[in-house]
Amino acid sequence: MKPLKAWARTLLAQDGLAILLVAGLLATGLTFIYSASWRGEGIVGAWFSRQILWVIIGSVVAFALMLMDYRFWINQAWWFYALSLLLLVLVLLVGKKVYGAYRWLNIFGILVQPSEFAKVAMVLVLARVLGSPGVRTRSFGTVLGALILAALPFLLILKEPDLGTAMVLVPTVLFMLFAAGAALRHLFGMGLIGLVLSPIGWLTLGNYQRDRIMTFLDPSRDPLDSGWNALQSAIAVGSGGFSGKGFLNGTQNVLGFLPRTVSPSDFIFPVLAEETGFIGASLLLLAFLFLLSCYIRTAWTSKDPAGSLLATGIAGLLFCHVFVNIGMTIGLLPITGLPLPFVSSGGSFMVSTLAGFGLVQSVHVRRMRRED
Amino acid sequence: MSRDRSNQIHVWRLLLLWGIMAGLFGVLTVRLWNLQVSQGREYQRRLVKQSLRSVRLPGARGRILDRRGIPLADNRPSYCVSLFLEELRRPGSVQRTVDNVMTVLDRLSEVMDRPRALFSQDVRQHLRRRTPLPLVAWKDLDEEAIARFMEHESEFPGVALTVEPVRVYPLEQQGCHLLGYVGRADVSKLLDQAEGEDVEKFHYYLPEMAGKSGVEKRLDGVLRANAGGKLEIQVDVVGFKFDEVLRRVPGQGSDVVLALDARIQQAAEELLGDDRGAVVVVDPRNGDILALASAPGYNPNDFVPSIPSSIWNRLLKNEGRPLYNRATAGEYAPGSTFKPVTLLAALHSGKVKADTRYSCPGYYQLGSARFRCWQHWGHGSIDLKSAIRYSCNVYLFNAAMACGPEAIQEMARSCGFGRKTDISLDYERPGLVPDDEWKRRTRHDGWRDGDTCNQAIGQGALLVTPLQLAMYAAALANGGTLWTPRLIHQIVPVDGDPQEILPAEAAGGPDWTPRHIRIVREGMREVVNAPDGTGKRAKLPNIVVAGKTGTAEYGVKGAGNKMTWMIAFAPYENPTVAVAFLVEDGVSGGTTVAPRIKALLTQVFAEAETGAASSPEGGEG
Repeated sequence: MKPLKAWARTLLAQDGLAILLVAGLLATGLTFIYSASWRGEGIVGAWFSRQILWVIIGSVVAFALMLMDYRFWINQAWWFYALSLLLLVLVLLVGKKVYGAYRWLNIFGILVQPSEFAKVAMVLVLARVLGSPGVRTRSFGTVLGALILAALPFLLILKEPDLGTAMVLVPTVLFMLFAAGAALRHLFGMGLIGLVLSPIGWLTLGNYQRDRIMTFLDPSRDPLDSGWNALQSAIAVGSGGFSGKGFLNGTQNVLGFLPRTVSPSDFIFPVLAEETGFIGASLLLLAFLFLLSCYIRTAWTSKDPAGSLLATGIAGLLFCHVFVNIGMTIGLLPITGLPLPFVSSGGSFMVSTLAGFGLVQSVHVRRMRRED
Repeated sequence: MSRDRSNQIHVWRLLLLWGIMAGLFGVLTVRLWNLQVSQGREYQRRLVKQSLRSVRLPGARGRILDRRGIPLADNRPSYCVSLFLEELRRPGSVQRTVDNVMTVLDRLSEVMDRPRALFSQDVRQHLRRRTPLPLVAWKDLDEEAIARFMEHESEFPGVALTVEPVRVYPLEQQGCHLLGYVGRADVSKLLDQAEGEDVEKFHYYLPEMAGKSGVEKRLDGVLRANAGGKLEIQVDVVGFKFDEVLRRVPGQGSDVVLALDARIQQAAEELLGDDRGAVVVVDPRNGDILALASAPGYNPNDFVPSIPSSIWNRLLKNEGRPLYNRATAGEYAPGSTFKPVTLLAALHSGKVKADTRYSCPGYYQLGSARFRCWQHWGHGSIDLKSAIRYSCNVYLFNAAMACGPEAIQEMARSCGFGRKTDISLDYERPGLVPDDEWKRRTRHDGWRDGDTCNQAIGQGALLVTPLQLAMYAAALANGGTLWTPRLIHQIVPVDGDPQEILPAEAAGGPDWTPRHIRIVREGMREVVNAPDGTGKRAKLPNIVVAGKTGTAEYGVKGAGNKMTWMIAFAPYENPTVAVAFLVEDGVSGGTTVAPRIKALLTQVFAEAETGAASSPEGGEG
C-alpha cells in the first residue's frame, strides 16, 4: 500500500501547467510535421509516423524519469558523463557520416546522436559538482573546473563537427554557474578570454562553417548555396503575414523552396509561421516562455541546490535551442542546423528533450512545500 | 531544509536569468513582427515572384467570310500528343529526366507508328526554358494515330492528347492574294497590341499566329483576340508545374465579312486559268470588291504554321511570281482602255464635241514621225462614238493634240490613276501618270507632242494597276462616282454589334458633264454590241454589256509582247458589275479577254439570278 500511495502522491504533485504546455508543443510539432511532409491528397511522408513513434518513446522516458528520484541520476552523474564522453569518442571513430559530419552512431540499426545524450550528462555532472554540499562556487577554481568539465564534450562535439549543438553548451554552463552563485567577475573574465580566443576558433572552423557565418553577415553573398535556406525561410516566415495562410496552405515547403529534407526538422518553424502567421508564431514563443518559467519556478522551489541547478541547466538547454533555432530561421543568427525542442522531428533530440523535461518534473515533484 | 549553505541558490539570480530569456524572446517577437507584419507584403511579393509564372494563352482568331458567309479563312482543331514533364520527371540530374522522356517518346512512336519528331536536345532545351509548360511531341495527328494513342493512353501517364487551333483556308488557292496567310507571331509585337494602359508581360507565350500578308495582315488587330488569356502556373523550386489557375479566359477575335463573292472570285480565277493576269470585279453602286484575282497564285495552307523551305523556294523561283498580287501591285500600260479618259478630257476642254469628226488614213503625222493606227488602212472620217467603237488611235491623237496633255493628265488623276486606291492591302502600287514635271525629273527632257500622242492611247510611261482600272470602269458605269474600293463589309465581334464599313467616295473624283459621259458610255456599248465592235466577243444575249478593250505593247519595241485588257460593265442601264480583266502576253483585248469577260459576266448574272430567284421555272433556257 505504501509505495502505491507514494506514487499517487508523486503523480498529483506534477507541474500540471508544464505538462499541458509540453503536450501542446508536441501536438503542434506533429501537426506541422504533418503539414511539412504533406504531399497532397492525404499522402504524408514517413516523417510523420516516425515522429509519433519518437514522441511515444520520449514520453515513456519522461514519465519514468518523472517517477524516479532525480538524486539517483545526480549521484550517478559521473558515470553518465564518462559514458557520454566515450560515446562521443566512438562517434568520431566509427560514426556514420551524414552530410560530411560524424554525428550518428548506429546502435542495433537505430541511429542515435551521442551529442544529445552528452548535453544532459553535462548538465547532470555540473549540477552534481556545483550543487554538492560545501562547494565554494565563488572560487575561481570551481568555475575553472566546471568549464573544463564542459569543455570536453564541447570540443568533441565541435570535432564532429556540430557547431550548433556545441555552441548550445556554452550559455548553458554560464547559466548554471551564474545560478550556482559564481562571482560575476569570474564569468566576465571567462567571457573576455573567450573573445580573445575566438579568432583562433575561427581558424579551426571548417570552410562550410565559415561560409555560413559569412553568409549570415551578408545573405546576398551566395544566395543559391549557403544563403538559400536563410532566404527561403525568411520568405516563408514573412509571407505568412499577420494571420497566416492556413493549415496546409503554405507553399514554401510544398514547392520545395524550403528544402523538404530540412523543413520537418530544423526548419519546422518557417512552416508553422507561414501557415499561422504572426499570431501562431508569437503564441508558440509564448508557450516556450511559459514552459521556461515553469522550469525556473522548479529551480526556485527545489529542495536542494543540485535539483535547482539541474532545472536551470535543462532550462538553459531549452532556451538556447529555441532561441538559436527561431533566430536562424528569421535571419537573426547564422544557420547552424539546430532543431526546435518538442516540435522538430528527430529521434535522439526528442528523447533527450523529453528526458530533460522528465528530470525537471522529478525535481518539481520533490520540491519544498509549505507543509513539509 | 536550511537555506543558509554556502552554495545556496539566490532567487535574484534565477529571476535575472528568467529576465534575460524573456528579453531575448522579446527580441525574437519584434523581429517576427518586422518580418511578418511590417514587411509581410514585400515577402509575399518575393514569394509570388519566385513561384508564379504567367502564360499568355492566344485567343481564337476570327474567321474571314465572303459576303454570303462562306468561310474563306477558318480554324480547325489539330490534335497533338503532349508530354506533361512534371509527371515524367526523375529525381537527380536533368539527364535522367531527359532519358525518361526519350524512352516515353520512343514507346509512343512505336505505339502510334509515327517517327519520333523530337531529339534529346529539344527535350533538354524545353526543360531549360519552358519547364512548366507541356512539351508538344507530335502535331496534327491523323485519325489513325489518334486512335492508336487513345487505345494505349492508360499506359502513358503524363502524356495526353491536346488540341491546338490551326488556321485553314477551305477554298485553298482561291483568293490567296487577297486573304494572305498567317505565320508564327512575333512575341515583341504581341506586347504592342496588348489592350489596356499597362503592357502586360508574361513569362511564357504560346505559339500564336499573326497575319503576314493580305487581309490577314491588314486586319490582324481585329482578327486576333487582343486580350489573350492568362494562365498562372505555380512552379516548384526546380521549375516544374505544381498547380495552375486560369486567371483570364482567352478572348476571341472578330470575324471579318468581306464584300467578296466567293463564286465570282472562283469564276475569275478559273477564267485566268494558267495565264498570268489579274481580274478585279467591282460593284459600281458602292465600290464593293466582288472579286480580286491574280494569277498564278499559291496555297495559303502551305504557310501554316510555317512554310516548308521546298515549297518556299519553288514559289520564289517561279517566274510567274505567284506571291505577287498583280491586281494591286502590278503596274501596266492600260492601252486603249485608257481612251475614254482622253476623250472625256477632250470633251471637257470644249475643243472636241460629240460630232467632231477626224479623218483616219491609218497614221498620224507629227513632224517627221508617223504614229500608226492599229488599222493600217485607216478608219476614214469618224466621229467620237465611232472612235471608241473602233478604238481608232488617230482620232485620239487629234483629240489629245486639241485639248493638250495637261487636260488628259488632270482627267486621269481624277479617275484615280497615279495614286493608291487605299484598299486595305499591303504592297499596293500607285501607278504613274507621267507629266512634264515627271519627265524633266526622270528623263531630263521636256514633254513633247509625241508623249501626248502615246499618252492619249494609254501607252508611253503611263502605268495603272488592274484595281485602278476596275474602279475607273465602275465610275464609267455609274456615271462619275469614283469609289474607294470597299473590301470589307462588316467586322463582327463575338459580343457586341457588327461594325458596318460604309461605302466611301474617293477624294478628288471626276466631275463629268452628263452629256459627255453619256456619249462615252454609248461608244462603249457599241464596242461590245456593234457587229464590228472591238469587244464584240463579250456580247451577252440577254444583258447589255458595255466595255473597252485594250492591247498594250511592252518591252522591246516590235518584240510583240502585249498586255491584253478589257474593262466592262453591265447591265448598261443600271450597272451592277464593273470588271477590269488583264491577261499578260495575250493576242489582243478583243480576242483574248473579251470572251472571258463574257464567260465571267454570264456566271455573275446567273449567280445573281439563282441567288435571288424564288421560282425554279423562272429561267428561259
